[in-house]
Amino acid sequence: MASESSNSARKVVVHLRATGDAPILKQANFQIGGTDKFAKVIDFLRRQLHRETLFVYVNSAFSPNPDELVIDLYNNFGFDGKLVVNYACSMAWG
Amino acid sequence: MDNSKGTEAQKYVWEGAIPLQIHLHESEVTTLPPPPPALVLAPRIGYLPLLVPQIKPFFNSALPPGVDTVWFEYKGLPLKWYIPTGVLFDLLCAEPERPWNLTVHFRGYPANVLTPCEGEDSVKWSFINSLKEAAYVINGNCKNVMNMSQSDQVELWRSVLNVNLEAYLWVSSKLKLGIAGDEFSVKWNSCVLKSQQSAVETDNTGSVKTGRIPVRLYVYNVNEDFDDLEDAPQIDSWDKISYINRPVEIHGEGKCFTLLDAVKSLLPEFFAEPSLTNEEISEVAGGDEQRLPSEEYGSSPRTTTADVGETSCEHVWSSDVSDTTEIKLLRIQGIEPKLEIPFGWVVNNLMNPEHFLHICVYVRIPEPITI
Repeated sequence: MASESSNSARKVVVHLRATGDAPILKQANFQIGGTDKFAKVIDFLRRQLHRETLFVYVNSAFSPNPDELVIDLYNNFGFDGKLVVNYACSMAWG
Repeated sequence: MDNSKGTEAQKYVWEGAIPLQIHLHESEVTTLPPPPPALVLAPRIGYLPLLVPQIKPFFNSALPPGVDTVWFEYKGLPLKWYIPTGVLFDLLCAEPERPWNLTVHFRGYPANVLTPCEGEDSVKWSFINSLKEAAYVINGNCKNVMNMSQSDQVELWRSVLNVNLEAYLWVSSKLKLGIAGDEFSVKWNSCVLKSQQSAVETDNTGSVKTGRIPVRLYVYNVNEDFDDLEDAPQIDSWDKISYINRPVEIHGEGKCFTLLDAVKSLLPEFFAEPSLTNEEISEVAGGDEQRLPSEEYGSSPRTTTADVGETSCEHVWSSDVSDTTEIKLLRIQGIEPKLEIPFGWVVNNLMNPEHFLHICVYVRIPEPITI
């Protein structure tokens, strides 16, 4: 499979940041497989925060499509060795 | 060239539409006889949920009571609504089917396969986010999109909704997303000039900038071989498609950066060793769906690339490794461009309005390889 090169088999560190009135998680950094989809990050946050409606962003800027691979997001938008993911309970950046 | 009206190829892309024949799923038919299918023309750059206001009246009276959650399906595969309609067609119909027979559902949304869609608002949200993502890839930030005035944003979205290229070019020029600028046309022109005159002095763009181009790539890995596109195995699950978002970095270095260079950088795992034979190239390029018979697309790239190969834009093919990986199909905006075409031209003319270039690729891998 094209998506399973040695590159994308890597783990990615996701740094979670609360925005607005969203609750802060005890642990901010998580590792996730590069071949996982962004949907997994969103699901994880939903379960942690017990919320159905959640707005999830990268770099305080945009919401990637849930189908995008974590490794692609990391390569495109990551820095300092991690992918910064912001979450909010109401729309933060339109 | 007057850029305010768009290039001829851009016009072809924006005018491009797919005739759809939409059937209401039998489980939702409550009338006898069942309603006839709806025939609509779907813009390539548009999105399926945007067609709902048009098709709803066809089926309204036949629907069972309940709340609408509209989704589309092709041969059992629920269609991802955030993928532009033209890309869905290119990807799922190896042998283009006209009209394209789709099934619409107004009930029973497959939430396990598709992300929720609340009509136009969801599509707009997805579009603007893709645009921001593209801006980020190009500029390293998306301030230009985020700082866009509300009215400009509405205008931009309307231009896509109404498929109005002129309005689109006017609003999107404010975003200063360089790839629509002259930089690459200059490079492309210099490439042409060089090949025609075999002269170096025409080039001298001097400090060649490296451009990052946002690309969404849909790779379908096929194990079995097929000669005819209509024999290509049907895509029956999204799991069979690798959805890859990798930017392409255009390296100037005085030579022409071609579509093949771009594909190689996007799919390095398939090009670890040179595996494209000349034969395969012509196979890939020999699309029967040449939709852009303009002089821009049809003649100039073709005539120039022949020379180009000998002079500045030199590629080294290997002709021995033909039994490994093979690109069976590479389609962008309904055409199968020659891989020798300058990538800058492809981007400027064939990208979608959210500034992503969507490329559909069928790759044949003789046996599953685990890398």
